[in-house]
Amino acid sequence: MLGPGVAWYLGVAAFLFGIGALGVLLRRNVLIVLLSLEIMLNGANLALIGFSRHAHNGAGQIFALAVMAVAAAEVCVGLGLVVAIHRRNLDLDVDKLSELRG
Amino acid sequence: MIAGAWLCLLAPLAGFLLITLLGTRISRVAAAWISTGSVVTAFGGAVWSFAELWADGGERTHLSTAWTWLQAGNFKPGLEVLVDPLSTMMMLVVSGVGALIVLYSVGYMHGDDEERRYFAYMALFVFSMLLLVQGGNLLLLIVGWGLVGLSSYLLIGFWHERPTAVAAAKKAFIMNAFGDATMVLAFFVLIAHSGSLAFGTSFDTATTLSPTAVNLVALGLLGGAAAKSAQIPLHTWLPDAMEGPTPVSALIHAATMVTAGVYLIARTHPIFEQARTVELVAAGAGALTLLVAGFVALVQVDIKRVIAYSTMSQIGYMFLGAGVGAYANGMFHLMTHAFFKALLFLGAGVAIHALGGEQDIRKMRGVGALMPWTKWAFLVGSLALVGIPPFSGFFSKDSIIAAAMTIGWYGWFLWAAALVGAFLTGLYTFRLYFVVFRGEPSPFVREHHHAHHGKEGPWTMMVPVVVLAVLAVIGGWLQFAPIWTPLTSWLEPVARTLPVAEPTSWQEGISSALAVGLGVAGIVVAWLVYGTGRIAVPRVAALQRLFEHKFYFDELYDAIFYKPAVATSLVSHRELEEPVLLAAGPDIGETAFDTGRGVRRLQTGLLRTYVFFLGTGMAVLAIVFLLTK
Amino acid sequence: MLVAASAGNVLVWIVWIGAAFACLASAVGVVTFGNPFYSALALIGNLGSLAVLYLLVSAEFVAAAQVMVYAGAVMVMFLFVIAYIGPRQETPWAGGPSWPTLGAVLAAAAIFLEIIVVVALKAGGKLSHSEHVNATFGSPGWVGRLFLTDHLLAFEITSIVLLVAAVGGVILGAHAHRLEASAAKPPTPGRRPAPSAPRREQPTEEASA
Repeated sequence: MLGPGVAWYLGVAAFLFGIGALGVLLRRNVLIVLLSLEIMLNGANLALIGFSRHAHNGAGQIFALAVMAVAAAEVCVGLGLVVAIHRRNLDLDVDKLSELRG
Repeated sequence: MIAGAWLCLLAPLAGFLLITLLGTRISRVAAAWISTGSVVTAFGGAVWSFAELWADGGERTHLSTAWTWLQAGNFKPGLEVLVDPLSTMMMLVVSGVGALIVLYSVGYMHGDDEERRYFAYMALFVFSMLLLVQGGNLLLLIVGWGLVGLSSYLLIGFWHERPTAVAAAKKAFIMNAFGDATMVLAFFVLIAHSGSLAFGTSFDTATTLSPTAVNLVALGLLGGAAAKSAQIPLHTWLPDAMEGPTPVSALIHAATMVTAGVYLIARTHPIFEQARTVELVAAGAGALTLLVAGFVALVQVDIKRVIAYSTMSQIGYMFLGAGVGAYANGMFHLMTHAFFKALLFLGAGVAIHALGGEQDIRKMRGVGALMPWTKWAFLVGSLALVGIPPFSGFFSKDSIIAAAMTIGWYGWFLWAAALVGAFLTGLYTFRLYFVVFRGEPSPFVREHHHAHHGKEGPWTMMVPVVVLAVLAVIGGWLQFAPIWTPLTSWLEPVARTLPVAEPTSWQEGISSALAVGLGVAGIVVAWLVYGTGRIAVPRVAALQRLFEHKFYFDELYDAIFYKPAVATSLVSHRELEEPVLLAAGPDIGETAFDTGRGVRRLQTGLLRTYVFFLGTGMAVLAIVFLLTK
Repeated sequence: MLVAASAGNVLVWIVWIGAAFACLASAVGVVTFGNPFYSALALIGNLGSLAVLYLLVSAEFVAAAQVMVYAGAVMVMFLFVIAYIGPRQETPWAGGPSWPTLGAVLAAAAIFLEIIVVVALKAGGKLSHSEHVNATFGSPGWVGRLFLTDHLLAFEITSIVLLVAAVGGVILGAHAHRLEASAAKPPTPGRRPAPSAPRREQPTEEASA
């Protein structure tokens, strides 16, 4: 194969995943959290595609497409939540939206 | 005679069941007469049985088995009825005196709200007592034993709205239960060794037991006898039992139930003879009781309590006689005592009934002036009790006193105690007579005495009194030891007097003279102090307190048994129940709550913490995978 | 691991490094920007560079789908919402590093390192060779055939998930007035409440999500 081996792709995917995790943990704005979530998903997608190429198996690409579809669905619902929260004039802060607690 | 015995046993049971099952469908008077009729039938059966046994002449022991009652390995007691001289004698006494007393109750309890219950219990009691004396093996004996204890409890606490009556019933039952327990333990030893509780087998087994074992068995039997017969140390229940109606006191606590202990010793005398020491201990307990009871009776002011202590004292005589081995003498005194003690109780009952329930002798002063028949009957009973010839007590009591002389140095102590007891008997009995029945009627009596349609009492009450008075006179003429002893001969196949307990004529004569003399001396002293008042009532403060507190037995038992038990229960309540058991439930709940509260803190509601935990968990899992793969 | 440098190879490497760098930088930008608008734009850049990486491994269909669906639809949706919410500037990094921050960084670093360790150490031997692929690998026809034969179930379930998400989105975005009105009026007994189907009479609604 031309270019870097699958290990490099995996390294990039790991980094993406880590950055995304960091974003989810550190940021308080709901929208940024959702975006970081997207980054994590993309990291996973990259790993899947890399392995698909490495193992000459189409399942990886199928899986990646399914992940994309699910990510889209999840963003749809998440943004619906954000809009609903905004309509009630609540602060879009993850730390403040904590009523579902014990 | 077997049919007579079964009739005697089952008639009162039928009466009890009939009254119980018919309940309020029959009138109270009908229930009373059913009960009386059943006991009279029982007496008829007893007479029949006795007559046939007497006529039979040959075999003296007839055992009739209805069916095998239990079966446990080798242990197969049957539902057996025994007809032998001892049991027929007891059958006659129990059913005869019982019939008279139940007839008396018809008048005494007339108008009581719960008359039916009373008569049902009386029939139950007569049945239980007959079962006790007719039982063909030790198992049935103890069944009867327990049932008479139950009947006694039910009848003492008959007027159950009175807390004193309920307390007295409990006290009686608990003390009797203690005696029952020792008896049952003795039976366990017998079963362990011989596998049977039949009389013959048990008595044979007793000869093969080790001395320790046979002493234990005898002690167990003695414990039961002492509890049932109110001998020291298990005597404190009897005076309290006077809370029951007077006929109950007469029947149960004078004539029959309390004599069951004497019957037991006479019946199981082969076992006792193997444990001679225990038998002598029984005699000693009897002697001690007769003295203590005599002293305490001197200061009692309730007429029934004086007679109750007198009962305790006379049973002490019976124990003395049976303990030294003169079983026939003990049984003879049992019979005469049944007559005159029942007479005394019933006579007192007539006076109590006429005065509307008053029992304090200080208030009852002089009631004899208004009730001559009762007065004469009470006099007859008192003379019989003190043992003045030719009344019945003389013949039976003196032979016991004489028998005590012959058994060695210990016997002299018993003899001396018995003679002192004779003096005391004269003193307290005639104190009672002179205070209550002689002299001018007190203001209380004048105010409260009400005659029954112009007579002293209804015929149902007066007839038994008269009959018992006659018996108290002639009952002793059955035997005049050592000249004429038909009763001893009658009982000989079953309860042969030990040779060591047979006094010579000289001993009999001396004992009799001394006993009569001391009794008369007691009467004279009582006359001087209480009859005419010529001598003031001696008051020694310490003795007065001692006697009034009944030698502090109640206080002693309270301190030994009751207070520690209460203290233990309070301590365990405070230390064990409340903190541990009662708090355990709420504490477990609290712990669950606290755990939940702690776990709840994990649910912060913050997205970040959830993701953080997710991430950390994932990292840990990954490490684990790495390490294991 | 480095193959012999040939002209095509070098080009691939250069493109790869550029795309990878853009990818990582934009990812860091998403997480660090204060303005959500900038973060969304950074994410679009991230998606684009990822598409380039996909092309380099012959996953053409996935790359196209990434650009069209992800960058084209999902991110546009994001931008719509961000525009609706309005401008805001946060200062997420004010106050300096705190304990939660440190813990999060450590956790993320741990995950990253673990993956590297697994990839480098444990799977070292197996990742070095890859096979040649034929021309149909990654083509739309190939992907479509796989969807409809081997992975039909995933295909169908994904479509259901999308349906559910669409319904959820509509419900979540239902106009506040309509919801509050139906909540304020208690249902009269014996009569079912009015159906909550969208009423055409009032023109000022439609969920904007």
